[in-house]
Amino acid sequence: MRIDETHRVWLVASVLILGATTAVYVLYALEAPHGPRGGSPLGLTFGIIGFGFMIYAGLLGARKQVPVWRLGRAQTWMRGHLWLGLLALPLILFHAGFHFGGPLTSILLWLLIITVASGVFGAILQHYVPRLILERVPMETIYDEIDRIRMQLREEAEGFMEDLCGNAPEAVGVITAQEQDMELRAGGYTALRPSRTGTGAQYKLTEEEVEPVRSFYTAELLPFLVHPEGPDSRLADETRALGAFSKLRMLVPAAAHPVIANLESLCDEERQLTRQVRLHRLLHIWLLLHIPLSLALLLLSVFHVVIALRY
Amino acid sequence: MSTLFGTFVGPMIQLTIDGVQVSAPASATIFDAARVSGITIPTLCHLQNETPVGVCRLCVVDVGGRVLAASCVRQVENGMKVTTNSDKVVAARRTLLEILMADHPSPCARERHSGDCELEMQARNAGITELRYPKRAFARPKDDSSLAIAVDHEACIVCDRCIRGCNEIRQNLVLGRMGKGASTGVAFDLNSPMGESTCVSCGECMVSCPTGALTNKHIAGTELPIPVGAELAEAEDLVHLPVFKGVSGTFLDMNKGAVVKRAFRAGEVICREGEFGSTAFYIAEGRAAVSISTPMAHVKTSGGARGFMSRMKSSLTARDSDVREEEATQTYIPIDASVDLAYNNPVAELGPGDLFGEMTCMSFYPRSATVRALTDCTMYEMLRNVFDILLKNKSFRARLGKEYKRRALETHLRGVPMFSELSTGFVERLMDNVKLLRLSPGQTICKQGEPADSFYLVRIGFVKVTESFPGGELVIAYLSRGDSFGEIGLLGSGARTATCTALDHVELVKIAAEDFNAMVGQFPGVRRGLQQLADERSRQNTERMAALGTISLDNFLSQGLMEAQSLLVLDLERCTRCDACVRACADAHDGITRLIREGQRFDRYLVATSCRHCKDPLCMVGCPVGSIRRRNSLEVIIEDWCIGCGLCARNCPYGNINLHPFEVMAEDPDSPGRRIAAVKQKATSCDLCTEHAEPSCVYACPHDAAHRVDPRKFFGDLLGMKG
Repeated sequence: MRIDETHRVWLVASVLILGATTAVYVLYALEAPHGPRGGSPLGLTFGIIGFGFMIYAGLLGARKQVPVWRLGRAQTWMRGHLWLGLLALPLILFHAGFHFGGPLTSILLWLLIITVASGVFGAILQHYVPRLILERVPMETIYDEIDRIRMQLREEAEGFMEDLCGNAPEAVGVITAQEQDMELRAGGYTALRPSRTGTGAQYKLTEEEVEPVRSFYTAELLPFLVHPEGPDSRLADETRALGAFSKLRMLVPAAAHPVIANLESLCDEERQLTRQVRLHRLLHIWLLLHIPLSLALLLLSVFHVVIALRY
Repeated sequence: MSTLFGTFVGPMIQLTIDGVQVSAPASATIFDAARVSGITIPTLCHLQNETPVGVCRLCVVDVGGRVLAASCVRQVENGMKVTTNSDKVVAARRTLLEILMADHPSPCARERHSGDCELEMQARNAGITELRYPKRAFARPKDDSSLAIAVDHEACIVCDRCIRGCNEIRQNLVLGRMGKGASTGVAFDLNSPMGESTCVSCGECMVSCPTGALTNKHIAGTELPIPVGAELAEAEDLVHLPVFKGVSGTFLDMNKGAVVKRAFRAGEVICREGEFGSTAFYIAEGRAAVSISTPMAHVKTSGGARGFMSRMKSSLTARDSDVREEEATQTYIPIDASVDLAYNNPVAELGPGDLFGEMTCMSFYPRSATVRALTDCTMYEMLRNVFDILLKNKSFRARLGKEYKRRALETHLRGVPMFSELSTGFVERLMDNVKLLRLSPGQTICKQGEPADSFYLVRIGFVKVTESFPGGELVIAYLSRGDSFGEIGLLGSGARTATCTALDHVELVKIAAEDFNAMVGQFPGVRRGLQQLADERSRQNTERMAALGTISLDNFLSQGLMEAQSLLVLDLERCTRCDACVRACADAHDGITRLIREGQRFDRYLVATSCRHCKDPLCMVGCPVGSIRRRNSLEVIIEDWCIGCGLCARNCPYGNINLHPFEVMAEDPDSPGRRIAAVKQKATSCDLCTEHAEPSCVYACPHDAAHRVDPRKFFGDLLGMKG
């Protein structure tokens, strides 16, 4: 979610709430005879409000499971999650009087701090990374279908090699296994991409000319297309790939250059897909920490409330 | 003395031909007199069943005069001495043959296929092996436009046989001469390509032609598979059928395999609604029932009060339970047969002499209804090349034309509420005056700006309506079977406000302006209805054209974004690719999403694949039952009688139409009266979640990235910002 002028109302409200609660806490802390305590009326109030904000923030996950239910726009829930979740930290700190206390309360506070920090980190990622994807992955596709697109790239590369060399050395076993793993999805595939099948190239390389192209394909291009995120591939780096293809062009006649250009374009698309995978992971990986921690936080908070009130 | 002139009674002329005494009637020609005497005079332009014209001059003979005489036109005279093979005659013939062969593309098509090009045979017989004369300086074109006959003007010797065959024998009056001097040739109508002319492909010209200028086309795959129990229909049997009256036996013979005679037992299904096909059927004997078995219901997605806490559910809902705004009020369903089906009871009967499957055969649309034999039936199933000739055949059209006009006026016209007040007498008057027009794909019906002189009803096919603007043409609408057009010009300024073009094989009922004016004059209700329709159409057209003027065209036209009325755009700087929009759409529609998060990009926006309610709705083209159409608000609506054939889904270039399966109890087409559980499909597309204030995709987006926008306003503002 981009934090922009549309958040102004939430920002102002949050600042006001923070300001007001801070002022109250400062007065309370200065005047409390034994210092600020969680069990005092004001401490409990801070705790209840803070817990309430945490519950609201936690309910976002449940809300997303029922997207069609008319329970308020998802956007409103998300903004509430962001700002009220952020406010929960100072309120709980006010509730705890900035004391970590015993083991349970220490764990709770640390969980809260890490959860909020991971949330802030996620918000920052969601603010910047979508634009990065837009700028750096012009050929972005549907993430779930990237494997299928990669298979199409390999098939196209094979087609170009056949156009140029008469046949393409196959990565037997690797491609076949991957194709077997990839079952047809219900509803099929929907990602759009331009197909480069058929250049209409009539030029076929001679036996002598074929050798460098074939060895480049076998040693570099195909392994890169099969394992694009593997280590040590020249083609994974744009500048080095440029150099590699330039050298290849020097070894073949000009009539073959359009096909070489197509192979280069496939590599560029593959690099973009790799970039997309990385950025997509970056955009979402923080959730692997944030969600389990927040669930743990909520559960332990309930436990804390029960224990604290009962005992 | 020869008596081979038969029982002729009258004065006989005595003459000598090559030393042989011959008697012939006074009106006989030298050619005929020689022929009955067993003397052969070579000719190219003369045929016994055609009026002789003497244009080729190959039949010249020496009658002792100053010049040689063309024997085919020269009448016999008493005491005439005729020499058919003198040196002078032989030399003249040889020169003529050499001149003709100089321009002839030897071997021509006829010579290649059957070795019997008369010109080349004559040249061989005359011992011509070398040509002294150069070829004509310019090439003559070929014309491949006809389905049945190939035209090679290069091989034409302008012998006039085809013209006489067309005009004298068949009286089709299509062929004539054009040009003069070396550029003389034969022409169809006013020199139209043969396939676009009024030629009925009877084949008479082809049969008459002595060279390869007019030859039969053999199209690959023009043979129907012959199912068990069926038999290939022979030309000699077909020509006796009323439906094939007037069709050339030669043509039928050359297209053997394109017509199959089929027998169906009572109860047998002949074709099913939604199936794709390429043939039409003619019922020779028996009766068949035609019906639509898909439930008369539309897809309704609802949640209602329960929607607050439950997912939306899609169900089939009949019209009486759920009245939708602007759904069709017509009382019939147009199908591809010689009857239309009543909405309330979509079953009808066909009998001997009826045709069905016309649109399937001509334009390869899906079958519009299920046809089942009520009694034992004999039918002729035919491919397009034969059916096309039938449709052009005069006697066929004369027989069926009246029926087509009646149906168009009774159902398409009076079936529409606004025309319901037309009296029977007036409809009868129209029956006598209206014309049936047949148009080929791409043919213009009327042009923008032309004087409006008629009102049209669409009998079959699709008509594209476009308006010009600086920079191109904008599609305003697609009209299909049962629709009408032409009222705006007639009721307004008197000029056409749009160009109408036949998108496929179209047949129109044309009501001339005077009949139209009489109709609106005598029936005020009709006038009001038409005026309302005209005003509404004009308003929509003006709106669309005004929109074009406000935004830079290039950006939009290149992406087709201007064609949309409502786009789902995703702001890619906000979108975290969480797919909440897609999941919400699927949740809202029984797990079948009507939205795909992929599509064209404009600036930082992704135009998602979801129904755009296009102004040029390609989904509408080809619907066999006309069930997908546009409301006056320009939103696409799919009517109750959608048969789930899926053509609209295939036609939509964006993949925005889905087929939603439903389990229903339906009549078993193989066992009438018995009901079985069946899965029936109905086409669905984005319905903007009209049950709720906001589409589910937009409602469920947590990042404020998904928006439904009016493209003109949205992108116009964007472009304005960019200056």
